Amino acid sequence: MSQTEYLIIAIVILVILAVTFIVSFVLYQRTPKPKGCEDLKPSDEKCAGCTNDACAFYKEKDSVESIEKKEEK
Amino acid sequence: MSTFISFILAIISSMLIDNVVLSRFYGICPFLGVSRKVKSSLGMGIAVVFVIILATCICWPIYTYVLVPAGIPFMDTVAYILVIASLVQLVGLFIKKYSPALYKTLGIYLPLITTNCAVLGVVQGNTDQGLTFLNALANGVGTSLGFLVVIVVFSCIRVRLESANTPKAFKGLPIALITAAIMAIAFMGLQGLFSGIKL
Amino acid sequence: MKREKGQTKKNFLKGIIQENPLLVSILGTCPALATTKSLEAAIGMGILFTIVLLCSNVLISLLRKLIPDEIRTPAYIVIIATFVTMVKMFTNAFLPELYSTLGVFISLIVVNCIVLGRAEAYASKNGVFDSFIDALGMGVGYTLSLCLLAFFRELLGTGGFTFGQIFTFIPLTKLIIPGAEKFAISLFQTPAGAFIVFGIVLAVVAFIKNRKAELKAFEAKQAKLKAAEEAKAKLAAQQAQGGQQ
Repeated sequence: MSQTEYLIIAIVILVILAVTFIVSFVLYQRTPKPKGCEDLKPSDEKCAGCTNDACAFYKEKDSVESIEKKEEK
Repeated sequence: MSTFISFILAIISSMLIDNVVLSRFYGICPFLGVSRKVKSSLGMGIAVVFVIILATCICWPIYTYVLVPAGIPFMDTVAYILVIASLVQLVGLFIKKYSPALYKTLGIYLPLITTNCAVLGVVQGNTDQGLTFLNALANGVGTSLGFLVVIVVFSCIRVRLESANTPKAFKGLPIALITAAIMAIAFMGLQGLFSGIKL
Repeated sequence: MKREKGQTKKNFLKGIIQENPLLVSILGTCPALATTKSLEAAIGMGILFTIVLLCSNVLISLLRKLIPDEIRTPAYIVIIATFVTMVKMFTNAFLPELYSTLGVFISLIVVNCIVLGRAEAYASKNGVFDSFIDALGMGVGYTLSLCLLAFFRELLGTGGFTFGQIFTFIPLTKLIIPGAEKFAISLFQTPAGAFIVFGIVLAVVAFIKNRKAELKAFEAKQAKLKAAEEAKAKLAAQQAQGGQQ
């Protein structure tokens, strides 16, 4: 096979990878949570040391805290 | 020496001597963050083992048989992160659909594995160093097992640290880091493990 | 939209002090421990990190209305990975020593929580200029904190500083405190030393934070007491007035 053909194959594979990622991401988001897990909350035990604000969960934890603060006031 | 024995030795050396967290500094975030409960850190560790081994098996062939012949080896990082992210999402999807019990213990932390440096670090290191497939696999298995061991041991220590009487400023992360330093010194003692064996 | 005066400066400074990504938010710890063996490597890592953060923040902010909400995270990851690849190639071409020193950690900028975190939390909601300033502040803050760790590690580990080994365009200079190399503690050059230095720096930050919180609580208490006393005095005065009438 020539270099160009290899290049085309490589680009096709990269595109397939990107599509797989996007499709699986969307599917993961859309799949309903299994029974009994609808309201899983970050527990302080597990998350206290972590400050990763890229984690979708961190925001929830944040909002929980802010709600508690509001209630205190 | 037979291939099998050198395979096992390579696993042990990347697991204990060149430990992923304590000497290569991959995956410090989950190491410091999600390791208060032994059970949840065990779950996290096993998930990371699974993802690292699968990612190694997929990324190495992609680099060697697709990117290099095509003359675009510089696209490796993009390809790897796509593979890892899709793997994590697919594993998460599977767990979400078929195993509610597993989802309950670690499902919510699963998406975080994408941003775990250990996975990308191992895969990228394999091809940067030009390892053969068998060596790459050994590196993947050993590194992930090393991560599992360290994260579980550390969570056991941290349970004790909770009740220890530490100075106020050292409470939480600082004392955890000092503990990690002592662990790193302990692991340095394993450096001469294979000095008697000819590899 | 009207801009408040001094908001830009505030936006820039918050990344350096109040929301310092490494010392306050404790993000991006992997490169912080691995690349702080020497001051020079830390500066190099900080600069590369800042470039990636700037580019990705600006592009994401530009595209924030075009990217569908549902596939935001995948799009961000691809954008960041592309910039990292570009930075990697430039480093390999122009600063090969830096490239070989940092090794895998240049690629690992992709999975650095700070870059993705800033994209999600800031660039996806704010304008281009604000995102640029935010990224600049965060990048400079991260670089400075890397330098802080590297300063102690290199000073204690080797007894001085060496420049010109990684940035080869400056002449090789060694700044060593006379007689200090005899007392160098090589532990600080090993991984264990990295953990110790980082732990102690974090403890100092926590100490300052605690001190500030205590001071604030003390002031609040003082203010409360003062207010109570004033109210009492007022009441007494009113009562006295009532008695006169």
